[in-house]
Amino acid sequence: MKLERAVVTGASAGIGRAIAEELARRGVALVLVARDAVRLEELAAGLTREHGVQVEVLAADLTSDEGRALVEDRVAALPTVDCLVNNAGMGTYGPMAGSSVSAEQQQVELNVVALLRLTQVAAQTFNVRRHGAILNVSSLAGFQPNPGHATYGATKAFVTSLSEALHEELRDVGVHVTALCPGYTRTEFHDRADWDATGLPDMAWASAVDVARAGVDGLLANRALVVPGGPNRVLAGLSQVLPSAVTRRMAGAVTKLGGR
Amino acid sequence: MSSYTRALVTGASSGIGRAIALEYAKRGVDLVLVARTESRLKALADEANATYDVHAEVLVADLCTEQGRLIAEQRLAADHRPVDVLVNNAGMAVDEELADSDPDIRIQEVELNVVAVTRLATTAASTFRARGRGGILNVSSVTAFWPVPGNATYAAGKAFVLSLSESLHVELDGTGVHVSAVCPGFTRTEIFDRAGLDTSKVPGPLWLDAHDVAHAAVEGLEQNDAVVTPGSLWQAMRLASRLTPPPMARRMTSVMERLTGFGG
Repeated sequence: MKLERAVVTGASAGIGRAIAEELARRGVALVLVARDAVRLEELAAGLTREHGVQVEVLAADLTSDEGRALVEDRVAALPTVDCLVNNAGMGTYGPMAGSSVSAEQQQVELNVVALLRLTQVAAQTFNVRRHGAILNVSSLAGFQPNPGHATYGATKAFVTSLSEALHEELRDVGVHVTALCPGYTRTEFHDRADWDATGLPDMAWASAVDVARAGVDGLLANRALVVPGGPNRVLAGLSQVLPSAVTRRMAGAVTKLGGR
Repeated sequence: MSSYTRALVTGASSGIGRAIALEYAKRGVDLVLVARTESRLKALADEANATYDVHAEVLVADLCTEQGRLIAEQRLAADHRPVDVLVNNAGMAVDEELADSDPDIRIQEVELNVVAVTRLATTAASTFRARGRGGILNVSSVTAFWPVPGNATYAAGKAFVLSLSESLHVELDGTGVHVSAVCPGFTRTEIFDRAGLDTSKVPGPLWLDAHDVAHAAVEGLEQNDAVVTPGSLWQAMRLASRLTPPPMARRMTSVMERLTGFGG
């Protein structure tokens, strides 16, 4: 599959930025979406200079209806957009008891509602054209319960299930759908979530560049699930076959190891 | 009998929610019944009161809306006639491929199945944790165990509820607050009619009765079982789903959807 232009959300940092770079390197034009226009402009200028691709910038807050509408319009209206990378996401750390209802909801609004809206617009648009690709950035956290970040893990279980089902719904029309499920990746994510994961061994960490490459390769090959990194694939496999009582305990232990 | 005194049940006017409400009433637990339709709630409240002599309040609220959620959250956190069980049951299904469906209905589905569940669970977790006792019963579905082409957002929402519930179960372990997710298979309720689903091709042995589901769910919460899957056939299918590689599981659900007439 040859892609022409990709809309990448949460493109200003981390895995989203790395995916944008990976696509640019492969000659795909870009529409970069994030809240921070300044960071996006810098990234866009760099990508055009380095890879000679056309890069647009769209400053939008996907937790708001207005922000989502801006991006939805761009996906549906630009005839050259044939790829959507749903990467924007946030995580909070801490037990649900005592946490604020609005913080939990905001996380769901971004990780689930915004992702669903954009996925749906892309599915409809690409389905009509019989061409296109949707890369949903999920997480290893979607495979097993996540005490300490319950809502985050649940949003990622949503994304993985949705993507797998959509992969099957669109498999015969030439539209690719992939869920990318990275484990711990070196980005700003854990700092923003105030989530100290320094207790985890080096082996557990992947670089955003490697995750991005695996994601884009998997999307082009139309793999439903991409779990980058050998140890992560083992974990994902274990989560599936082990009884849930065991995975819950494991998840609790990892949370203590990686948390505060 | 039950270790609880008052259960707030969402989506109580029909189906599994109604059955759970009556199961609690039978065990002498007072009720706060939440749904959109006042007349049906009042009839249920009268029935629970007349048959089991429990006190049953009616709370009219549309949990798809911000206002409706606030009404339910305030009642959950209130100290007068305190609620000590939350039954997060309200839910809806949309049976259509994602590329064919109205985006707004999908969002409404997620607002109810995901956003409302998260908000009420957060409020209940905070309230019950502070009191050192309580129970949260989240109604998920067997569709949480495998992706479901044709009902993509419904299954994803139920995967969300199961994951959230299991995490919360671990977080509240040892605090006196029980958390269970119940994952029923096909249960004879109105949800299929409302989603416009013809269920005539679903084989008989796969069907569950709402009362049996409610009984298993309420018992499971008493025991603090993290995941309750009613019906031995569905338990076997859940086990089989673990041992099936994901690509095969996706194809199998796809085939099963076609056989049973589901999946658009």
